[in-house]
Amino acid sequence: MRRVLRLVPLGLVVALAATVTLLAPSAPDRIEPLFAWSSPSAARLLGAGEGGVDLLSVVSHAELRGIVLALAVAIAGFVVGTPLGAFAALTRGRTERLIERGCDLIQAFPTFLLALAVLSAVRVPSRLHLGLVFALTAWAPFARLALVQTRVLRDAAFVEAAYALGVTRPRVLVRHVIPNLLGVVAVQLGSAGASIVVAEAAFAFVGLGPRDGVSLGAVLDQGVAAMLRAPHVLIVGALAVFVTSSSMLVAGRAIEGRVR
Amino acid sequence: MRALRAAFSRALEAALVLLLLASLVFFALRLLPGDPARLVLGDQASPAELAAVRARLHTDEPLVAQYARFLSGLGTLDLGDSLRRPGVPALRRVATALGPTARLAALAVGLGSAFGVAMAALAFGPWLGARRRWVERGLVALAAAPLIAFAPLLTFALAVKTRLVPLPGDPEAGTLGLVFASALLAVPLAAHVGRTGHASLVELGQGQFLVVAAAKGAGPGRVLFLHALPAASGPILAVIATQLGALLGGAVVLERLFERWGLGTLILEAYASRDLPVLEGAVVAAGALFVVVQSAAAFLHALLDPRARS
Repeated sequence: MRRVLRLVPLGLVVALAATVTLLAPSAPDRIEPLFAWSSPSAARLLGAGEGGVDLLSVVSHAELRGIVLALAVAIAGFVVGTPLGAFAALTRGRTERLIERGCDLIQAFPTFLLALAVLSAVRVPSRLHLGLVFALTAWAPFARLALVQTRVLRDAAFVEAAYALGVTRPRVLVRHVIPNLLGVVAVQLGSAGASIVVAEAAFAFVGLGPRDGVSLGAVLDQGVAAMLRAPHVLIVGALAVFVTSSSMLVAGRAIEGRVR
Repeated sequence: MRALRAAFSRALEAALVLLLLASLVFFALRLLPGDPARLVLGDQASPAELAAVRARLHTDEPLVAQYARFLSGLGTLDLGDSLRRPGVPALRRVATALGPTARLAALAVGLGSAFGVAMAALAFGPWLGARRRWVERGLVALAAAPLIAFAPLLTFALAVKTRLVPLPGDPEAGTLGLVFASALLAVPLAAHVGRTGHASLVELGQGQFLVVAAAKGAGPGRVLFLHALPAASGPILAVIATQLGALLGGAVVLERLFERWGLGTLILEAYASRDLPVLEGAVVAAGALFVVVQSAAAFLHALLDPRARS
């Protein structure tokens, strides 16, 4: 029961953001210069930002898009990394060491620089570009976990029995090892998702975000520029990043409980 | 002999990281769709202007020749002139930016490790009693707090509203500004060091050598700092090494937040204005900074923990 409760914060964030985007018709990029930087009021619950955009609308849209991006990348990393790590541990020997070193290298790699290097090929990076760049490194933690876990499983009696019955290695991988890994490796989904939400905000903050400005990082950027005139923008942006990333972390721990 | 081989393989790996980064920048700019000259000049450029920029970037040559020129340029520290500031070598601009970022990152690594180790010691040692759990929980919460959310808030509260510290981007901010910026950057690192340090201390807690030290009359402080912490230095230094990439990303965010001059500012400026030689040089320099600190961590580990030397 407590496990399911851990999904509540993420569910609440998504439900709130979805309700706002569906019910409140004000588009996140609708400009009303009359209300620029205006404080929170009954009409604009979170106030307005640069050019009078409704912050509630911007934050809701940005949260939804950020969460979708994070889930997509984290799941892609999970789907690629788990079989790769399991395969490496099953083959043993040189392949195993090579893939392990590769994971170490990628996990310690300055991801921000890597992303900058790749993004420099496009004029205005879109969310899709960002997702592709994040996916370049997202598989490594999943592969690492799967590798460590398979080292335990590969000597288990049921794996040896499968080999003895003449089951081929790919089939052992798919039918016997991977199903036993899923629970343990999926624990990583939450922290991977949270770090992607934060990374997306960081890229938008330094000016490498989607051009329409619908990103939590863009809200923070506005907030920093107007810190003295309109501190509410900064506070709204920072809280939104914090709430989104920590709700994902907590949701990830819901899976952890199920494993034990 | 073994130590020499370990050092050699570490140097090889460092060179590999740098080569990988450099090649990624290089090929991303040349292989992915989009003509670099057009990216630099925009859509309205005349063919003659485009040809001139192509000649300056050597993008009219075969790719292999360009790559060879780029690599030898890295080797001889000459990547050509900056596109936006003709006559200024790209690497001279990179060199002026390397110092501030290196100071920021080095101080953040120092502060983060010191604070993290202190937290780990507090959470493990006998001084706080049952309140040790609070330190542990605090570390978990700190590790989950994203820099991008709390750094602007703290800056607003401490530097803008109450003016307790100067804004680090202010040229007159001096040392206090630098310390404030690095302290912000050090928070996630400290949390990770604290958690890992505490976990490995708990694991060592059952070790006989600690019981022996206590039996010989060493106080809890002496046991902790002289016997337990050096043995726990491996995981601590390993976590510092894995957090360095994130730290470098955080430095870019902070430099942008404070409008402080450094590698991050230069990279973003070169990115926005498509100054390819400067962009390539700055990304490689940031990678070099990362590699140097990482190797320093490995060296320190060998110095502190005799087991790592063999």
